[in-house]
Amino acid sequence: MYGAGVAFQPTSSARGSSKEKKRRDEDEEEEEDDNEGKGTDAWERAYADERSWEDLQEDESGLLRPIDTKTLVHAQYRKRLLLRSSTGGSVASRIQKGLIRYLYIVIDLSRAASETDYRPSRMAVVAKQAEAFIREFFDQNPLSHVGLVTMKDGLAHRLTEIGGSPEAQIKALMGKLECCGEASLQNALELVHGYLSQIPSYGHREVLILSSALTTCDPGDAMETVQRCKRAKIRCSVIGLSAEVFICKHLCEETGGTYTVALNESHFKELLLEHAPPPPAIAEYAAANLIKMGFPQRGAEGVVSICSCHKEAKVGGGYTCPRCKVRVCELPTECRTCGLTLVSSPHLARSYHHLFPVAPFDEVSPHGRPGQRLPTTCFGCQQSFVGQGGAQPSLRTSCPKCNQFFCIDCDIYIHESLHNCPGCESQRNSSV
Amino acid sequence: MKLEVEGLTVYFPYESIYPEQVEYMRELKRALDAGGHVLLEMPTGTGKTAALLSLIVSYSIHKNFKFKLLYCTRTVHEMEKTLAELRLLASHLPTPTSLLALGLSSRKNLCVNPHVLSAQSRDSVDAACRRLTASWVRSLAHDNPQVPTCPFFESYDRAASAGPDALLLPPGVYTLGDLRSFGRSKGWCPYFLARQMIRYANVVVYSYQYLLDPKVATIISKEMQKECVVVFDEAHNIDNVCIEALSVSIRKQTLEARLKATDAGRLRAEYNRLVDGLAQRGNLAITDAWLGNPALPDDILKEAVPGNIRRAEHFLSVLRRLVQYLKSRLLTEKVETENPVNFCAAINSQAGIDQKMLKFCYDRLHSLMLTLEITNTDEFMHIQTVCDFATLVSTYARGFSIIIEPYDERMPTIPDPVLQLSCHDASLAIKPVFDRFQSVIITSGTLSPIDLYPRLLNFSPVISRSFTMSLTRDCICPMVLTRGSDQLPVSTKFDMRSDPGVVRNYGRLLLEMVAAVPDGIVCFFVSYSYMDGIVNSWNEMGILQFSHASIENSTFPMVMLQLATKDVMQHKLVFIETQDVVETTLALDNYRKACDCGRGAVFFSVARGKVAEGIDFDRHYGRLVIMFGVPFQYTLSRILLARLQYLRETFQIKEGDFLTFDALRQAAQCVGRVIRSKADYGMMIFADKRYSRHDKRSKLPGWILSHLHDAHLNLSTDMALHIAREFLRRMAQPYDKTGCGSKKTLLSEEDVMKMSEGAMDTY
Repeated sequence: MYGAGVAFQPTSSARGSSKEKKRRDEDEEEEEDDNEGKGTDAWERAYADERSWEDLQEDESGLLRPIDTKTLVHAQYRKRLLLRSSTGGSVASRIQKGLIRYLYIVIDLSRAASETDYRPSRMAVVAKQAEAFIREFFDQNPLSHVGLVTMKDGLAHRLTEIGGSPEAQIKALMGKLECCGEASLQNALELVHGYLSQIPSYGHREVLILSSALTTCDPGDAMETVQRCKRAKIRCSVIGLSAEVFICKHLCEETGGTYTVALNESHFKELLLEHAPPPPAIAEYAAANLIKMGFPQRGAEGVVSICSCHKEAKVGGGYTCPRCKVRVCELPTECRTCGLTLVSSPHLARSYHHLFPVAPFDEVSPHGRPGQRLPTTCFGCQQSFVGQGGAQPSLRTSCPKCNQFFCIDCDIYIHESLHNCPGCESQRNSSV
Repeated sequence: MKLEVEGLTVYFPYESIYPEQVEYMRELKRALDAGGHVLLEMPTGTGKTAALLSLIVSYSIHKNFKFKLLYCTRTVHEMEKTLAELRLLASHLPTPTSLLALGLSSRKNLCVNPHVLSAQSRDSVDAACRRLTASWVRSLAHDNPQVPTCPFFESYDRAASAGPDALLLPPGVYTLGDLRSFGRSKGWCPYFLARQMIRYANVVVYSYQYLLDPKVATIISKEMQKECVVVFDEAHNIDNVCIEALSVSIRKQTLEARLKATDAGRLRAEYNRLVDGLAQRGNLAITDAWLGNPALPDDILKEAVPGNIRRAEHFLSVLRRLVQYLKSRLLTEKVETENPVNFCAAINSQAGIDQKMLKFCYDRLHSLMLTLEITNTDEFMHIQTVCDFATLVSTYARGFSIIIEPYDERMPTIPDPVLQLSCHDASLAIKPVFDRFQSVIITSGTLSPIDLYPRLLNFSPVISRSFTMSLTRDCICPMVLTRGSDQLPVSTKFDMRSDPGVVRNYGRLLLEMVAAVPDGIVCFFVSYSYMDGIVNSWNEMGILQFSHASIENSTFPMVMLQLATKDVMQHKLVFIETQDVVETTLALDNYRKACDCGRGAVFFSVARGKVAEGIDFDRHYGRLVIMFGVPFQYTLSRILLARLQYLRETFQIKEGDFLTFDALRQAAQCVGRVIRSKADYGMMIFADKRYSRHDKRSKLPGWILSHLHDAHLNLSTDMALHIAREFLRRMAQPYDKTGCGSKKTLLSEEDVMKMSEGAMDTY
């Protein structure tokens, strides 16, 4: 169907461009209307908010194509990066971060979670994002542990024990999705408090509450529980789905967590993922601890052994505990027999980057300062900054340490995945 | 910080300042320079008090303390807040300044004598104090040590007579609590100390009554010089305060109680042969000077007491005749309205008391009681009421009317005769204040429409201005809800209010909102009776559904209403304001607790009630306020009708205009309870179709109107819900407090400098 449009293209290009101009004018007018006092009715605005039609854009040939979201994404990414580096303290003064985290995720399955202002329902959205979060969390914090707690019918219920495997957690969560009754913040906190007070002292205790409800129906004084959590050094954070609730704010302020409220699903995801990198350590924890860890060897192919986690014979694969020689399937974990923490060196390495983050790159204007000649290619991928056919040169950034220039894609890759600056690393090599 | 306002150095106690505060100060400065009266409206939460105090105090430093600041507040609580603000300011003043500021309140709030304080009411504390400190009691005690006196007063008196008064209290800012503890530590009576020290104080904070009520004003505020600056804070109801100060109502009990008192008095009068009843005024000790003369014109004060009531027994018989006459008037079966001139004439012909005698009733009683050395004044309340009445009715020919109602309009079966002398003209009580003082500043968060106040109070302000709030974000969200979810209009208009459809729609609105709004919600109803009715019917319908769940399930409205009451309780606890103060205080306490602990709560309250006037529902204590209906006054009330007529005839204010103005200022006052600072946020729902009409809406204060978008003018419940959800999400996002670029809302010292320079450049 759209192929026909291409066939007409050569003849209608002039007309097309004028049409486009007109369209743009109309768009501007429309926007003005929207800005002026929001002259639409509420029901209209529900549709207007999504603005699904704006995702579509015509290209020169009149074909529909999705809007160029790249620049938008880039802008968002830069904002996030700067925010993170500013809240996490300056890069130069390295701050201690809790790398071994014990996190309970409290999921609100009260009546309010069945509301449909998020599609298809708050509960479904929470579950979906929680799943993504758990995966991301273990990816970034391989040494940490997660457990799940649900709130419903005025009670708090532990869904899973605290553990190191994402799959088990997600499976347990998906099996238990139904909501009814009231939420009780106090009960949930008491429960979590009970479990978290048992963990070893080097672990950082955290609670993340995904709250749909606006009220909490408590058996006693929630304020006391907040104080107990504070004393137990449990860092409580809350993500609300609808509005700011005083008690949650109070809880977060007291225990040093963050309180945020989601605007919509994508914002919710963003807020949730902000909890994946480890938070700065609480001052009282700053004393360094030595932790005993085992680095198990991978079992040879074809060796039959009984696995300690599934209690059945398995062929090949798996890891062997260096202390008691028991076979485990996955890392990281705790040895079932001797209780040794078992990790692999990549896990440690992956956690390590949180302590030494790559400094955020400075943005460089495409034309550079007068009298300064800029390299024309990205140091990372060697692609030319100047677009094909003299198009607008794309945004570029430079590392404040080695002053190499990178394109925005490499910038994202360096900060999000690589965690090392290629420029700085190569300099070091050459100097050695 | 320090800033320059048109050449005047202003000391401001905070590090940064809002732009509207600078504006406010500028206007104030101009007004002080011009030496006239001002009317200023600035929204609550923008630091009105701080701006006001720092400008005036700085101004008076500039003028070497040549004038006093008399700051009038409505409640003791506000007095304390103001003094706290003042103390902060005092700590930022340049060091050699000696500022003396103090609060003055009744004996009940200031007394430190445990025996006196054990009395319950304000009047009995006053009486208990007099019993210990009156000059004759003290002279008796001088001869006979058995007679109890107040040790605090005695030592104060010794200190006062020993040295110059001005040295008694070192400069500083004294709240009521400070005065009490100062009094305790020195062993001096704080009340009399404060009374004495207001002469030397630079700032005096006290209640409206001390200036407006002529009985009190003559004693307390007599000595204030003309250069004083008078501030009436939270003055949106000032006309009502003025009217109340001059209105008297007499019930049957009043007259009966009075007779007994007179008898007792007469017995003692005979006992004291010495009584000859001539004017006792003049060299009275400070403790004896109690309520002054309510008559305002000076010529009356200077006139001598007429001869035929100079003798005590004659005066008593006059009083007895007057009471007899009033009693006979109270026996009437129908409502009567009369003007003072006719009333005096009737008294003259039927009881044989001429106007002049009536005029002096108050004075004469006063001197009689002094002569009789009566200290338990609280028992003589009623006789004073009657004398007040007599003096007022004979003094004013215009602006008053006498209304006799044999029963309460709402309960015609119960006879409860009441004779009311109601004042219609607010300007009468405030006129002496305007005349005497150079600058009177009337300010409040809601003074709209601002042009009506000068007419009501009959003065011409040199500046009247309404300021808006500069906000970094739209933190208030007013909405006008005209329809229920079924698109039928909602209103508390008389013909619609009992319609089950309207009741249901209101219930539905509340239900939707409790589910969507966190923490506290405040609902205001137009009257107690309406609140009782609607809450009852919500509840009743819920109960109906509850017990007949299986049978009535099919009827749609029932299901709705069942939701309304049962589900409200599921989301929030419900608290209700009653006419009992203790109960209401308890309810408020629990309401706050429920908001704190996250359970959430709804508070049902009444416009014009105590809660609507004095209690703040800031932050999470009030995220939403719903105003059910337009809070018109009870329009069939005789007093109101008479006042409306008077306003139309005298000031050419139309009845409708005044009623709407009065209703809308109450509504604005109610919804204004939720915003007390800029960091706060809250929604306001005006749930009545009449609010969408221009004549009503335009009378709302500017700071509400500027946030009332056209799209929010004609909402139904579901639309309002959508907006509410969106608003709450938006408000929960972190924001930048100082604002940025041109929309700066928090100015530092340099910013102010720049601003004033910029202003210079443009001129």
